[in-house]
Amino acid sequence: MTIIVDGPLIRLAGNCGAEDAEILLSRLQEAPESQIDVSASRHLHGAVVQVFLALRPTVRGMAEDVFLRDWVIPCLAAPP
Amino acid sequence: MDELLEQFLIEGPEQVQQAGEALLALEARPEDAALVDQAFRAIHTLKGSVGLFDLPAMAEVLHVAEDLLGARRDGRLTLSRAATDVLIAATGQTERWLDALRVTGGALPDDAGDVARALSQRLRGFLVPGTPVAGADNGRVEAALSDTHWVESLFREQASDAARHSVVTALRYTPDAGCYFRGEDPIALARAVPDLLAFRVFRRPDAPPASDAYDPYACDLVVELLSAAPVEAVKVPFRFMPDQIQVLSWSPPSPGPSIGPSPTGLEGPRGLRVDASRVDTLVALVDELVVAKNALADLAARMADGLAPDVAARIMGDRQAMLDRLIGRLHRTVTDIRLVPVLPLLRRFPRMVREMAAAIGKEADLVVDGQEVQADKGIVEGLFEPLTHLLRNAVDHGVEPAAERVAAGKPERARIGLTVGREGDRMVIEVTDDGRGMDPDRIRRTAAARGVVPAATLAELPDDQVLDLVFRPGFSTAEAVTVLSGRGVGMDAVRAAVGRLGGGVGLRSTVGAGTTVRLTLPMNLVLTKVLVVSVGDDRYGLPLDGVIETVRVTRDRVLPIRAGRAFVLRDTAVPLLALSDLLDQPADDVREGEAVRAVIVRVDGALLAVEVGTFLGRHDVVLRPMAGLLAAMPGLLGTTLLGDGGLLMVLDLPGLIAALHRDGDRLGGGRP
Repeated sequence: MTIIVDGPLIRLAGNCGAEDAEILLSRLQEAPESQIDVSASRHLHGAVVQVFLALRPTVRGMAEDVFLRDWVIPCLAAPP
Repeated sequence: MDELLEQFLIEGPEQVQQAGEALLALEARPEDAALVDQAFRAIHTLKGSVGLFDLPAMAEVLHVAEDLLGARRDGRLTLSRAATDVLIAATGQTERWLDALRVTGGALPDDAGDVARALSQRLRGFLVPGTPVAGADNGRVEAALSDTHWVESLFREQASDAARHSVVTALRYTPDAGCYFRGEDPIALARAVPDLLAFRVFRRPDAPPASDAYDPYACDLVVELLSAAPVEAVKVPFRFMPDQIQVLSWSPPSPGPSIGPSPTGLEGPRGLRVDASRVDTLVALVDELVVAKNALADLAARMADGLAPDVAARIMGDRQAMLDRLIGRLHRTVTDIRLVPVLPLLRRFPRMVREMAAAIGKEADLVVDGQEVQADKGIVEGLFEPLTHLLRNAVDHGVEPAAERVAAGKPERARIGLTVGREGDRMVIEVTDDGRGMDPDRIRRTAAARGVVPAATLAELPDDQVLDLVFRPGFSTAEAVTVLSGRGVGMDAVRAAVGRLGGGVGLRSTVGAGTTVRLTLPMNLVLTKVLVVSVGDDRYGLPLDGVIETVRVTRDRVLPIRAGRAFVLRDTAVPLLALSDLLDQPADDVREGEAVRAVIVRVDGALLAVEVGTFLGRHDVVLRPMAGLLAAMPGLLGTTLLGDGGLLMVLDLPGLIAALHRDGDRLGGGRP
C-alpha cells in the first residue's frame, strides 16, 4: 500500500510504482482539491510523476530520498 | 585526365581526411574551436577545388557543409551530435565521389544528383532550424535540434553548481509514449545518472490535456538534466534507448567578471576629499600648539633662573594638561578627516548582486539600509572585499534556485539585506539572506569529515557554536561547498579580513529561513582609551568606552545573592563578578577594610559590576587586533605595548561574560 488517503490529504509512501498512477489519478479526479504529502515516498514512477504534472495538485512535505527531494519534487511543486 | 583533375585527386582525399578527423574529434570535444576551424578549412578548400570542374552535385554538398561549419565557427549555431553525423556522412560521400572520379576520369555516378540533394537538405536542416529533414534514416537526426536553448534555460533555472565546471554533459530524454509498457521508468533512469547538477521533468508541449480520459500510461514526459560526469557515463542508463536521448557536452558561460572580487575603483592612488573647515581647524590647532611649546620654553628659562621646584612642578602640570588637551583635539580632528560615510560603499553592491545572481541563473535583490555611519577610510575600504565575499556566498549558496524557493513557499526572488548601524562605538554591518540557512548537523558532519574538530568535542558543541566552525581554516574547501550549501567558502578569509580591521564576524542561521552574517567593526583605527587595571600581578586594559563608571564599594555593602554577589548602586541592584574569575586567575588577597574596586559595564542592557584589583590609570593606546590562534579567543580585543615596554592585553568584558555563560553557569545567580 503506497497510497494512503487521509481526508483531503493523500500520502504517498515508499516506492510508488506505475500501478499507483491510476489510483492517484482517479483520486485526484474525484477530489481535485486533495493535497499530496510526499514525505514518506522513496521513489515516484514516471507515470506517477506525469499525473502530478498533468493535474498539478498541491504538494506537501519533503521526501527523505535525496533524488526526489532535490530534483523531482521541486519540478512537481513548481508552477507549470 | 587533365593535370588539374590529377592534382585534385591527390589533394582531395587529404582534405577529406582532415575534415573527417576533425569532425570525429568534435564528437568528443564539441566546443573545440580549433577542430571546427580545421574541418571548415578542409571543406572550404575542397569546395574551391571542385569549383574548377563541372561537378554540380559535389559542389552543392560541399557548399552547404561549408555554410554549416562556417555558422558554427562564427558562433551562429552549435553543432548537435546529429549535425556532426551528417557532416561526416557528407565527407564520406565526397570521398566516394573522389574514388569514382579517379575511376571514371572525371564523371560522377548517375545517382549523384539525388544523393547530393538528400545530403544537402539534411545539412540545411541544421542550418535553418525548422526545415523539414528528408530521408531521416537516422532517428536521432529528427529528434535532435541543433540548438542548445534548453540547456541554457536549464542552466539558468537551477544549475548554479554547474557554473563550477568548465564542461558539463547535458541530456534530454524524450521517452516514447509506450515506454511504461516496456518496463521503463524515466525517473528511475534519471536517478541513475551520476553527478547530477540540474534536473527537470515536464510534460511534452503536445501532451494531452488532463481530461477525464487522461491516460497516465501514455508517457508524455520530457526529462532534461545536466551532469558533471562525462558523456559516456551519463549515457549509460539510457543505453537501450539511444534514439530517445540527445546528449551533448556543454560549456557553461563563464561567470561575469563581477562575480569575482574585483574592487575596481578602489585601486590606484588613494585620494581623500576633505572639508575645508576641517583644515582650518587643524591650522588653528597647530597655532595653539606653537603657543604651548613657547610656554614650555618660557618655563624652562624660568627654571634655569632658579624657580622653586614645587612652583615649577605646578606650572609644568598646567602646561602638560594644556598640551594634553591640544593633542587630544588634534587627534580627534585628524581622525575625523579620515572618516567617510559607509553607505555609499554599500550602495555599490546591489548592481553587483544582480549580476552575480544573473550569472548563475538566480534572481536576487539586494536591499541596502542603515544609519549614516562614518568610519575610518581605511576600514571602509577594507570592507569591500569581505562584503563581496559574503554577498557572493549569499547569492551562490544561501539563496535557493527559484523552483526550490517556490516549493518552500518563499517568493521566487530572493531578498538579501545589507544594513549598517552603530552599537556604542562599534559599527555593525549585517548581511542577511532569506535562503536555505545552514544546517548545524551538516556542518558537524563536514567538520568531522575534515577533522576540523575532534568528533567528541563536536558532539558536545551547541548548535550556535557549530555554525562558528565554518570560520575555521580548512573547513572551506571546494568540496565542502556543495556538501554544506557552500557557506564555507572563504569564511575564514572573511574573518581574517575583518579581523585585520579590528573587527569580528558572527553568524546566525535558521534552517530554511536564512542566514545573517554580522560584522562588528571599530569606527576608527587609531587610538583607543583604555583603563588599566590589575588582577593579582597582571595588568589588563579595559576599553574606557565600555566602562560606565568606576566604583569603590565597602565590603559590607556587598551582599551574597544565591551563588553570586551583588550590591546596591543608587537604588539599583548590580551583580558583581570578579575579573579574576572571568579570567580563571587567583583572586587578589582581600585586605580587611579595603573597599571593593569595580568597573560598571552594561551587558545586554543590564548593569554589571566587575571587580578588579586596583586601578592603574588611563592610557591612549593603539590597539592591535589579535591574530592567529588568539584571534578566536573570546573576550580578547587586542594587545598594545605600554610605555614601559610591557604587553597589555585589552579585554572585551561583554565577550568574556558571554563566554562565561556559554561555558556553564559559573556566574551563579547574581544576575538581576
